[in-house]
Amino acid sequence: MSDETSQPERPEKVIELRLPSKLGYERVAMDTASSLARRMGFSNDRVDSLKTAISEAVTNAIEHGNQQDAAMKVVVLLTARKDGLVVSVADQGCKPLAQGSTTSSPTIEEAFERDDKGGWGIWLIRELMDEVEFSTAPSGGNQVRMVIHLE
Amino acid sequence: MSNPLNNSMDLSFPSELGYEVIARDAVSAFARRLGLSAERVEDLKTALSEACINAIEHGNSLRPDLRVFIHCHLEPDRLVIEVIDQGATEFVARDNVLSISEKIAGLGSLRGMGLMLISQLCDESSFVPGPEGNCMRLAFSR
Repeated sequence: MSDETSQPERPEKVIELRLPSKLGYERVAMDTASSLARRMGFSNDRVDSLKTAISEAVTNAIEHGNQQDAAMKVVVLLTARKDGLVVSVADQGCKPLAQGSTTSSPTIEEAFERDDKGGWGIWLIRELMDEVEFSTAPSGGNQVRMVIHLE
Repeated sequence: MSNPLNNSMDLSFPSELGYEVIARDAVSAFARRLGLSAERVEDLKTALSEACINAIEHGNSLRPDLRVFIHCHLEPDRLVIEVIDQGATEFVARDNVLSISEKIAGLGSLRGMGLMLISQLCDESSFVPGPEGNCMRLAFSR
């Protein structure tokens, strides 16, 4: 049941969650992360920020990276450290993320031109988390690593 | 929907007391999504916590370098959860176990009720052969 994406962090205390790529399962990731964050002593506000960020990251992985193919998995790694919580979300990457989309901030006008009024996810994640880094997972999919610091 | 993997989830965590709370919250979120009633989710939380504590304390002998694995999947009419340890200690069934009421009456230690609680709360619970370690399977009807 081990996975190559979790190997580098194995010596640390890592919780690994593998979810089907079906919308709705992001709630499982949100509840797991908030359970851990509350135990680590994060304030309610920070727990809410974390829940929103992880929900956006997992929803992106389900919808875009894994194209809602339920048989493909989204892997969420939660690492509790003394100074914060590290969250990594990886998909199996049928659809690589365009580099430009990881840094841009959408405007209201642009968002309204889209049918789903969406496109805010990555911008939100950057606003809510203390460190955010997009990369390619060892599995070949998209990976986002987010850190939220304990004050 | 036909592929059981489409409604399955895997979770693993370090074998350290306290992590059973995170596992409990993760699996109960999964169970709520699959339509288990609030009352059954409460049963599941208690049973799963006990099974995880057994895996941490007994199966993995409180070794923090070992891990506990949970696999959950949906069958047509029930949710099945497997809690798997790395088998530092093999589970051996004991005879002459006191009942919960005997324990509460002071006839024995108040500890050691985990397996009894689990069997009362689940629709089915058993140890099943696993590739390594002990595997406890819990099933909840929907």
